[in-house]
This record gives sequence, structure tokens and C-alpha cells, in this order.
Amino acid sequence: MQNKSLLKKITGSREASLVIVLIVMLIVISIFSPSFLSPTNLGQIFRNNTLTMLMALGMLCVMLTAGIDISITSTLAFAGMSIGLLQKYDVIHNTFVLFVIGALIGLCCGLLNGIIIAKGKIAPIICTMGFMYVWRGMAYVISNNNWASGQDVSGFSDFGKDGSPGPYIILVIAYVIFFIVMKWTKFGRSIYAVGSNPEAASISGIKVDRVLVSVYTIMGLLAGLAGVLSVSIYASAQPNMQYGKEMDVIAACVIGGVSMSGGRGSVVGTFLGALIISIIAKALPLVGIDAIAQNLIKGVIIVFVVILNVITQRTMDRQNLLRREM
Amino acid sequence: MAGKSGRTISATPKGGMKEKILSLEGALIIAFIAINILGRVLSPNYNLTNVMRESPRYLAEIFMLFGMGFILVLGDIDISVGAIVCLSATMGCLSSNAGLPMGLAILVTLLTGLCCGMINGFIATRFTELPTMIVTLGTQIIFRGIAEVSLGSGGSASLKDYEGIGILRVKLGPIPLAFFLIIICAVVFIILLSRTTFGRRLYAIGSSKTAAKYAGVEVEKLRFICFSLIGFLAGVCGLFILASTYGANTTTGQGFEMEVIAMCVFGGIATTGGKGNLVGAFISALIIVCLRIALGQINMNTQLILVIIGIMLIVSVLVPSFRQKYLALKK
Amino acid sequence: MKKKVISVLLCAAMATGILAGCAGTTAPAPEAAAPAAEEAAPAEEAAPAEEAAPAEEAAAEEAAPASDAAAGTFAIVTKSAGNPFMDRLASGFSEVIEAAGGTVVRQDPESATADAQITVIQSLISQGVNTIAISANDANALISVCNEARDAGIKVLTLDSDVDPSARAVFCNQAGVEAVGQQLIDAVYDLTGGEGQYAILSATSQATNQNAWIDAMKAIQEGDEKYSKIELVEVAYGDDEPQKSTDQTQALLQNYPDLKVICAPTTVGIAAAAKVLQDQKSSVKLTGLGLPSEMAEYIGDDDAHSCPYMFLWNPIDLGRLAGYASLALYDGTITGAVGDTFEAPTLEASPYTIVDNGAGTEIILGPPFKFDSSNIDEWKVVY
Repeated sequence: MQNKSLLKKITGSREASLVIVLIVMLIVISIFSPSFLSPTNLGQIFRNNTLTMLMALGMLCVMLTAGIDISITSTLAFAGMSIGLLQKYDVIHNTFVLFVIGALIGLCCGLLNGIIIAKGKIAPIICTMGFMYVWRGMAYVISNNNWASGQDVSGFSDFGKDGSPGPYIILVIAYVIFFIVMKWTKFGRSIYAVGSNPEAASISGIKVDRVLVSVYTIMGLLAGLAGVLSVSIYASAQPNMQYGKEMDVIAACVIGGVSMSGGRGSVVGTFLGALIISIIAKALPLVGIDAIAQNLIKGVIIVFVVILNVITQRTMDRQNLLRREM
Repeated sequence: MAGKSGRTISATPKGGMKEKILSLEGALIIAFIAINILGRVLSPNYNLTNVMRESPRYLAEIFMLFGMGFILVLGDIDISVGAIVCLSATMGCLSSNAGLPMGLAILVTLLTGLCCGMINGFIATRFTELPTMIVTLGTQIIFRGIAEVSLGSGGSASLKDYEGIGILRVKLGPIPLAFFLIIICAVVFIILLSRTTFGRRLYAIGSSKTAAKYAGVEVEKLRFICFSLIGFLAGVCGLFILASTYGANTTTGQGFEMEVIAMCVFGGIATTGGKGNLVGAFISALIIVCLRIALGQINMNTQLILVIIGIMLIVSVLVPSFRQKYLALKK
Repeated sequence: MKKKVISVLLCAAMATGILAGCAGTTAPAPEAAAPAAEEAAPAEEAAPAEEAAPAEEAAAEEAAPASDAAAGTFAIVTKSAGNPFMDRLASGFSEVIEAAGGTVVRQDPESATADAQITVIQSLISQGVNTIAISANDANALISVCNEARDAGIKVLTLDSDVDPSARAVFCNQAGVEAVGQQLIDAVYDLTGGEGQYAILSATSQATNQNAWIDAMKAIQEGDEKYSKIELVEVAYGDDEPQKSTDQTQALLQNYPDLKVICAPTTVGIAAAAKVLQDQKSSVKLTGLGLPSEMAEYIGDDDAHSCPYMFLWNPIDLGRLAGYASLALYDGTITGAVGDTFEAPTLEASPYTIVDNGAGTEIILGPPFKFDSSNIDEWKVVY
């Protein structure tokens, strides 16, 4: 009896199907590159993709409300460039203060998004598309054709250095907080409620506007934080940093089973989705695929996993239907 | 003017909506004139000859505007068009270099676009649960990936036979062929969307897919047609890019998708579907093109131009939204 | 009815546009007079846009007394905005032109693509500048726009990164391709100790310069018995993105445990690789082409630093060279033919002579400069 329910749990849960995809991928990769599962390599996977993983959490919240934010990497560049320049021109060198400033810049950008989307009743993709141009442009303008590089950020980059636990700690704390908030707090549940049915949520006393503003603010905050981390991990701030990577973040969420029409998705799924994206990026050069073909393969895998998700969902629905009929 | 049949299937939104749309178009036309006067004041080189000479890239982009308008009215989105432009230009270029006559190479370019559009359409209609943003996000990487692989390690190809493609660069006075084609396309697609059953059905799907389905509209078939159409138009865009640059490379068409969507939205088409029309989108495309050319001629920082366009985009959607709120309050 | 209103308005709009156009084409006469007067005044005051467009105008100016740079407008188009290397090129270029009294128009395309460059070059043609110096993002895609510029009477030259030789007068090359290849392969030979594996971390797979240098390295290696014991295991592409370059460097280290040297002939790649190697305290050594200001942190002879030495040319000097070449093209001192000579007073190796590199004409700045622990502190503040 218990066995059966366990089996059902596995075949009937999206997370489980993602885990299976993950395991298959890992097996295939390990055949080509036996050292893939070494601790250093696994550590590097997390470190190099801290930004995607962190921002995927914010994107989860945004997408749960049926929204989307494509301005995140521009916010990231603006925040990262700002704190890079603060160090370059010797204004501030304190790591903690820099983190706070970067996060605050991101928070303000996100707040602006949130207010315009919630109060102006504007499609999120349009509003964030506008800010995508604005913040990226501002990053270029303030940079004035300079980069902040290794030497300018030397003390600060120790935080994100290979082997330093900094990025991992931030990642773990963020995931734990989000897991708890999304699962067990009123705020977390209200995000789901707004996404599934805004009218019903509004009637049941949830302040929909306030929830919308806060999810975009959270997204902005995480993007700002990612900007600071990016400067720390790569020891450089450039206005074009992470250009186009917002699509990776969105893809990570979708692969993780977050629905773009809102209301469905989980922190665990998001984590698995981000992990799959990260592993693809890391494994393609390792298994010896020609550099030119790497994008093609990446695209094929993303489409494949996404379609697989749909098929799993369909079987899940069918099983549920069958059970009801019984 | 509009005949009997024209009135019975008359343009979509009704009553008060119509007035609003009229005023939007009016505002856009005033903006268009203002931009041209501004351009003239800012830059002494802003004249018809120069604007037309600088326009080929933008004109190529405008072809996709019509398809994107259809897609957005459906409530869908296609962010793979930039990659389709890249792939079709690549295929056209490579096939011509491989010895195909120019006519056939042009056909290859267009067919590549059409095929890509059909692939998008197939996935989007076969797996209806998937938002089209995700479908096209995935296929975008694939299409550009195929272009990268076919271009090989150089990452760029140049057309050997650029005499042949000269036919697409023909000019009547200062005005290039592409401009006339765009006017024709504009007329055809504007009528198609606002004056035919086909167009009205697109609005029906955009407003409510379920309702449209119950009303007997073949939702998935129409969506498939629209995706194929925009793929084809992206192929046309690729063709004109090929004609103006004599080649293709892996960054061809990068960012076109967002620019085209911005033009549509600026012209009043909502990304949520069922709203807006191509007249507004077309005028606003011309506005954006003229603005960019004018600001380019006074050597404004190219990044600042993007900042301005971003702010314009947000303001342009905020104003009607607040106007509506204000009107609602007045009532 | 309402549609009629719209169409009337549309027609009105079109008419306005066309009228504006006609006004534009008939107006040049008074405008042409204006710039001459205006540019006689201090050059920085004269807006570049004031320069009159038509080709005849450019031709007329050419006939005017030579070396009258004050009447000229000289444009530089970089690869992209937000790139310090490009910024130094442009500053060197501006310095020379402004010293000669000319007007500088600097354009940074919005992204590092040929498309974006075509847009800004088109705009420069409209403005009727006298010369355009381009650092090309793609050798082929700019041919048609360069020809258009030439047809409009504008002299086109390239610097740093070339277009197809048929489309420009001359190429200001930072260093001969052979020379760069030789320097790099010798550095690899030196750092490996004469035998062992090395890998290359390049920019994008279609980067013209990088591909040429890598091909030169391979050719030199094949042609000389001396290099037979060093083995190129892989050319990885970091796309000039820090993240991808980091991933690729780590993959190289993991796939080739016996790797001795990584050679990164690109400024973004070398900095990313340097950081990876230094953080991991790897024994693999790094060399290549990098900006001193970006690399100061990583250059040193001991094991705590990942890069013993690297090379680059002075981007400011390269900009200056392009500036002088523009002036010379403008006043007719050179036409771009092999053997033409011109003076470049602020550069050490002046005068420069145009040579044939096999495919087209070029001016070579000089050999790449070596940066190591002894001189890095001096140069990191310069560029």
C-alpha cells in the first residue's frame, strides 16, 4: 500500500520527473567525462551559476503572479557597474556596505517596476522591456567606457573567490528563506493566490497591488544582489555583463515547472530547473562538443525538457482523472 | 466607402473604444510630424534622401511588424524572429554561394523563414499548455544555433554574387524598393486584420480562446497560420538584410524581436491580446525609425537613444492607462 | 468617415515629410557656406552635424589648400560602447585630430555587432564627414556600407580590426599578424619549457583578429621543428564574456590535467582565465594579449601570480596613427597605395609607410609590447 503511494508520488510529481531528467543527464555526462561529479567541479557549477540560481528565485515569485521580468540583467548590470565604480574611484571599499548599496539599487529598480505594473495596470513584459533598455543604457552611461577590473575590486573580490564560501552561503540562505516563506507564510500563500485568481484573491482580502509591488521589489533586490556577486565572483564590472542572460533565468524557472500563467511552481522545482541549466552550461565544453554547436545543443535540450514537462503534466492530469473515476 | 459587407464585419472594438483608438492614431500622426520637424531642426542633414538611405535595416524590420501585430492580437508572442532573420539570411547567402541562381537563393531564404515559423507554430499548437514565449525562447536558441553551425568557424559569410541581389536594392529616386513593398504590405495586412472575418477571428481568439473555440473558430489552425506568417515575414526581413549587407553573420538580427514588439506596443497593441490595430503600430514604427535616425545624426550616445526609447515605451503605455482611470473617476 | 480622417491625416504627414525632404535637398547652398565660417572659429565649438552633406561638397573641399584640417570632420567608429580598449583608441584619435584643428565625431555602436555599426556609419554618411575610421566587427558585413561611403566621397580606413580590403583605403594594423603569432608562440614555448600541452582561450569563434593570430600561431608551429614538442590541445571560445570564459578555462583545466600553458589572445578572456588560475593556485601559466590596467593584479614572476608576462600594443598610439592616417588621406598626402608615406609627429616610429600584407594595404604600428612585473606598475595607470 505504502509502496504504491510512493510510486504514485514519483510518477505523479513534476519534481520527481525533473530529478529523473537530472540523473539521466548526469549519467550520460559522467560517461563522457568521468571527473564531472568531482567535488571541485560540483562546487564550480554552483559558483559559476550563483547569479542564475539567485535570480531564478525572484523570477519564481514574479511568474507565480503571472508576470515576467526581462529587465533583471539590466538591473544587475546597473547595480554591479555602480558598485564597481564606487571602488574604482575609491569611494567605498567595505564589502558589507557595497552589498547593501548594490541590493538597494536593485530594490529601487524593482520597486519602480512593481509600482508601474501594479498601479498603472501595464503588461509586465512591456514595462520591464522599457526598463531593460533604460538600466542597461544607464550602466553604459555611468561606466563612461571604463571597466572596474581585478585591481580596483581586489579586496572585495575575495568574497566571491574560488574556494571562498561567500556565494554558497548567500545561495543557501536565499533558498532556505524562500522555501519557508513560499510554503508556510501568509505572504507566500498570497503570492500563489494572486497568481491563480486575482479577483478571488482580492475578494478574500488580499491586497493584490501590494503583493505585485513586493514581488517585483524582491526580484529587483535579488538582481541587485546578483550584480554585486557578479562583480565579486568575476572580479570585473562591465556594462554589458550578463547581457541576454535573463532568458536563461526564465528558462530555468520554466524547466522547473513554473507556469507562466501564474499560480503554479515551487522553490524546489526552480532549484532543479536552475541546476539543469547550469549543468548544461558546464557540461557542454567538458563532454567535448564543438564550441560552434554548443548553443544548438543547449536549445534542443531546453525545448526537449520543456516539452517533457508538458507530457508529464498531461499524464498527471489523466491519472488524477482516472482516480476520480474510480 | 465601406460597402455592405465591410460594415457587417466592421472593425473589431465597438463604441467608445473606437473613439479612443481614433484619438490614439491622431496623437501618433501628430507625434510623427513633430518628430520630423524636430529632426529637421536638430540636424541639417535630416532630409528625405538621407532618411531613406539610412533606412534599409529599419525597413527590413518593419516587415515583421505586421506578423508580430497578428501574433500579439492573438495573445501570443514570438521572440524567435531575430534568430529566424539570422538563419534565413544565412541560408540564402550560403545557397547562393553554393552556386544556386539568385532567384532560387531568394526562394530558399523565404522558405527557411516559413519553415522556422511553421516549426514554432507546430510546437505552439501541439503543446497548447506551453506559453509561446517559452516555445520561441527555446527555438530562438536552436535557430541561431543552426545558423552558427552552418556558418562554421568564421561565423560570417559574404555573398559572392552581389550583382544578382541588386534587384532588391533598386531605388525609385531616393525611395528604395523595400519602402514600396512595405506600403503594399501595410495596406494588405491592415485590411486583413480590420476588415475581414479572418482578422475578426484573431481578435476573438485574443479576447478569449475558449469563447472563440465554442463559437466555432478553428483556434489552433489560425494560430499556426499566424506563426507561419511571421516566420515568412522574418524571412523577407532576412532577405532585405542580406541585400543591404551582402552577407550574414551570427549576430545578424540580434535584438530585432524586442524592437519589433516595442513598435507594436508603442502603437497601441496590447501584449495581452485582442486589442489594438496595425495602423497605430505602423505609424509608431515610422516614428521610432525617424527618431532613431534623427538622434543618430546629431551623434547622440547610442546607449542614451536606447534609454529614451525605453522611457517612451513605458510612458506610451502608462498614459492611456491613467487616462482610462481618470475617465472612470469622472464618471 | 473616421477612416477618411485618418487617411487625410496620413497624407498630410507624408506630404510634410516629403516637403521636409525637398527643403533638405534644395537647401544645401546656404548651409554649405555656414560651416566654413563656423569652423574657422575654435574647432570644438563647431557641431559635427553642421557639415554639409553632398558628395560634390566633399570633393570641393579636397581641392582646397592641403592640410587645412580645420575644415574637415573626421569620424571614428569603435567596436562597441563600454570598452576601455576602444575608449583609448578613440582618445588617441581625437587627440591628433583636435591638435590639427579638425572636428572629431566619435560613434560607439550600441552593441558589438556589424548591424549596429552599419547604422552609425550610415548616419555618418548623412552627416557628410570627410573620413571614417572603423574598427570592424565583421569583415564582410560592412563592405556594402563602406562602398556607399566611398561613393559619397568619404575616405574610409580601418584600424584594429579590418574589413575586406576592397572596401577601404588602408588598414592601420596594431602589429603584423605574423609578428603577433610569433610572439605568442614564443611565449608559449618559453613558458612550457619547450615541451608540453597548451590551450588557447579565444574570444568568439568568428572574431577576425583572434582567428588570424591563432592561424598564424598554428602555421608557425607547423613550419618550424623547434616547436614540435609543444602541442595545442584545444581552442576554446569564451565569447568575451567573463562567465563563459571562466567556464571554459575550468573545463580546460579539468579536461587536460597535464596542461602547462593557456594562451588567451583577448582582453576579456585573459582576465577571466587569470582569475581562475590564480584563485585555484594552479600551476598552469597564462600568457596572451591583455590590457595592463585589467591585468595588473595577476602579473608577476612568482607562483602567487598566474601570468608571468603578456603582450599588447598601445591602443592610444594606434588611435593616434589612425588619426594621422585620416588627416593624410584627407589632404591627399596618401591615397592608400603601397609606398605612400606620411608623418606622425607624436609617434616614435614616424614616418610610416603603407605596405602590402598580401591581401591588401596596411600601416603597421610596431611590434607588440611586452608587459611583465618590471613595467606593469608603470603602464597600468596609462591604459
